[in-house]
Amino acid sequence: MNRAPLLFLGIFFTLAFSWTGIVLTNQLTYGKLQPVIDETENKAYPEQLSGLAEQGKLVYQDLGCLYCHTQQVRRPGFGADDKRGWGDRQSVARDYIREGRVLLGTIRTGPDLRNIGARQASRDWHLLHLYDPQITSKGSTMAPFPFLFEKHKIVGQPSPRAMKLPAPHTAEPGYEIVPTQRAEALVAYLQRLNDTYAYPETKNVFVEPVEMKKEGQK
Amino acid sequence: MASAPNLAASFDPATSPDLVKRAELSEIDASTKIPVLFFLCSAVLWLLVGTAFALISSFKLHTPNFLGDIEWLTFGRARTAHLNAVIYGWSVNAAFAVAFWLMARLSRSVLRHSGLLMIAGVFWNIGVTIGIGGILAGDSTSIEWLEIPPYATPLLFVAYALIGAWALITFRFGKSEHIYVSQWYLLAALFWFPWLYSIAQIMLIIEPARGTVQALVNWWFAHNVLGLWFTPIGLAAVYYFLPKVLGKPIHSYYLSLLGFWSLAIFYNWAGVHHLIGGPVPAWVLSAGIVASFMMAIPVIVTGINHHMTMVGSFGALKYSPTLRFIVFGAISYTITSLLGSLMADRQVSMVVHFTHFTVAHAHQGMYAFFTMVMFGSIYYILPRLLLKEWPSAMLISVHFWTVAVGITIYVVGLSIGGIKQGLEMNNADIPFLTVVANTIPYLLSRSLSGVLMTIGHLAFAVNFAWMLLRPRAPQATAPTFFNTPPDMEVAR
Amino acid sequence: MSAVDPEDHNPKIEQAGASDKSIQEVHSILLREKPEPLENHSPLPLFLLGFISAMVLMVSIYFVHNSGGFSPMVYDERFDPKNAPATTAEVKIDPLVQGKKLYTTVCAACHQATGVGVPGVYPPLTKSEWVTGSEERVIRILLHGLQGPIKVDGKDFNGVMPVIGPGGYNYSDDKIAAVLTYIRQEWGNSAPAVTKEKVTEIRTTTAAGRSTPWTAAELEAIP
Repeated sequence: MNRAPLLFLGIFFTLAFSWTGIVLTNQLTYGKLQPVIDETENKAYPEQLSGLAEQGKLVYQDLGCLYCHTQQVRRPGFGADDKRGWGDRQSVARDYIREGRVLLGTIRTGPDLRNIGARQASRDWHLLHLYDPQITSKGSTMAPFPFLFEKHKIVGQPSPRAMKLPAPHTAEPGYEIVPTQRAEALVAYLQRLNDTYAYPETKNVFVEPVEMKKEGQK
Repeated sequence: MASAPNLAASFDPATSPDLVKRAELSEIDASTKIPVLFFLCSAVLWLLVGTAFALISSFKLHTPNFLGDIEWLTFGRARTAHLNAVIYGWSVNAAFAVAFWLMARLSRSVLRHSGLLMIAGVFWNIGVTIGIGGILAGDSTSIEWLEIPPYATPLLFVAYALIGAWALITFRFGKSEHIYVSQWYLLAALFWFPWLYSIAQIMLIIEPARGTVQALVNWWFAHNVLGLWFTPIGLAAVYYFLPKVLGKPIHSYYLSLLGFWSLAIFYNWAGVHHLIGGPVPAWVLSAGIVASFMMAIPVIVTGINHHMTMVGSFGALKYSPTLRFIVFGAISYTITSLLGSLMADRQVSMVVHFTHFTVAHAHQGMYAFFTMVMFGSIYYILPRLLLKEWPSAMLISVHFWTVAVGITIYVVGLSIGGIKQGLEMNNADIPFLTVVANTIPYLLSRSLSGVLMTIGHLAFAVNFAWMLLRPRAPQATAPTFFNTPPDMEVAR
Repeated sequence: MSAVDPEDHNPKIEQAGASDKSIQEVHSILLREKPEPLENHSPLPLFLLGFISAMVLMVSIYFVHNSGGFSPMVYDERFDPKNAPATTAEVKIDPLVQGKKLYTTVCAACHQATGVGVPGVYPPLTKSEWVTGSEERVIRILLHGLQGPIKVDGKDFNGVMPVIGPGGYNYSDDKIAAVLTYIRQEWGNSAPAVTKEKVTEIRTTTAAGRSTPWTAAELEAIP
């Protein structure tokens, strides 16, 4: 191959072809998906995150939670996502349309978090788990995040937000451990991760045809 | 072509053929010295930085409390710093160095305006440094392979723009009668990368696409950085150094042609296999899987081409460091790519997706293939830039064996661990924490391999620095081989 | 077949113009190098043609069968939109099976898989008059939560039960009915199943009025 212009044409075309097919086609066919209005509940799904939860998502990104946790549920039968309680149905594109940054993830060193708000809504559990994962999940390899918490001297009454930590983490007398704003925001975000709404397209699932037995037939 | 002279006779200029041509090549080498040396020094420094973050991240995965109190080293940030340091620091700098040196030699052009390249290199490295600092501070974009914060990316763009401008000025292809296979790959890589990076920046950061279209852009971009930037540069190096060191031609021009174009067409589409099972339309995943299967064609074709070129000369591996690293890399390329085609099958993906298996696969590609090929290339190039020999064959040997054994333990350990992890994760009767506990032995083996590879990198860096600092020898010297070859026709 | 280097007659070479001494010095490494690489023109092996054709055939078949009709709204590759009515039949799920699954994912963390709870902290569901008693009460507990002192099987508890209904886990009516049916028929309990319609009825009648968790006293007032 000795003609540079031909080479360039080929190189350009191959890239343009894949960009058109993978990116452009999908941007055109589902890039403008809209939320669905649910008539009975008079709400739009997917729901917008609250302000605190949006801040929490930034904490999620800044600490790199994406690098151990996924946020995509695979369909029942393709892996055990449903059996582990990670979600009843496959995640669909519409679940993510309100997100400025889509954090699907690529590795499950830790469990999938797409529906963590549905299966673990307890603020206290999340704060304990973030402070030191060993408290709630012995043997976990998740990193501890003690820097999301502050030690305060107790002045007057202890703070209602103070952590109830088991030994050996309990603060010394006169001190309390309190979650920072970042911790509260992160937990608020986790509590909002809940994709239970059944959009019309969630019915597009292949079902094994069942043999229908009629009366009197073997 | 007359057969090349044996080693002893080659020191006598009177018996060397093509004297004028070699004078030209040496002039070209001299013209590449400053920029290529700059990129190589940057690359080696980034290799050490990336290795440090690699060790930290690896230890944290099995010993989560390791440095657990230090916020800026939390796993999510340390691991990201590692990735960006070894990709945009070590790998890209090495790629630039090898690409420019190869382009200069292959187009028989003396490198002019190398000041442009130097400035580009400075911008690039400052950009990566600020980017990694930003990641450690918490400003990562959380887009895989594109984590460098937006305040640092303009520096990368300036660097690449300068490189692009320089390339346009320097290479006049009208004069060359024949464009050698390595040049197709290098030109393609240099063209593809900025387009990939720019589109990714626009569609993910500047004007983010809605919903999972982001994921499609992300993995079209990230996988193509592997397949359309690093792979072509790696293959270009193999296609140059294999025949060069052996003194034999590449087996078949037609295989080269088929290999190049089939790679260009299929690799482009394979990226979405990162999303199998995910919230993107099934048809585009099937298209990516099809492309991943079809990648077996360029991989097998290139493998045949390389193998048939090597056949009859495997003995040279006893002597030549360059050849050893290059051949290790080329074989790893074949294995990792064929495994990749296999991993794209939905039933296989169901097991290995989201596990450490993919980490093993990624390192087999970027390290066992690309990094080893870069090592081999550097062992060849540096003597020709500095007009000195590598000071220590022992350090090269330590380097080779520690990293070869290291990466093998890495890939084998995490592959087995990953398959186990995937099978157990797909069995809901096994509690998740048990699945995690069962991966620990394999994560420990990875840390061990990491320690080995660190020793290798240190041996390499020490040899590199020593070579830079040692004085030039006054008379002709012998190349630094592993063993002294008997009058064998091999050059390093 | 020997390869000829087309660059052998490059006119630029004359400009090399280095002195004898520098040629000798510069060439010590260059002298021993092999010539620049070249390509032979060995023909393509024939098996490749067969291999490539076979690959193209196989992947085409795979692609056509796994494209979900090329619809952007289909995420299951086996689904064919053209055959939709036959393959999207509503599959009836046994409420006890569904109920047990729901219980395990949400309730078991506190009430335990054995239903015995944690003494002093979380009430048991076995031998619990609240579970087997009036469905009016137990449905409300799930819909809106429960807090404050409560006596279960003679023992005192005083905690907070999270909201399984709207504002909390947001379980739909059939899910609440399923999990209640399950706990009412497990661990030796034997109480009538709870229907989805009953849950809907209670949800709608309390929708306007209830925003805080129930207390035991309020629930005991309901028949």
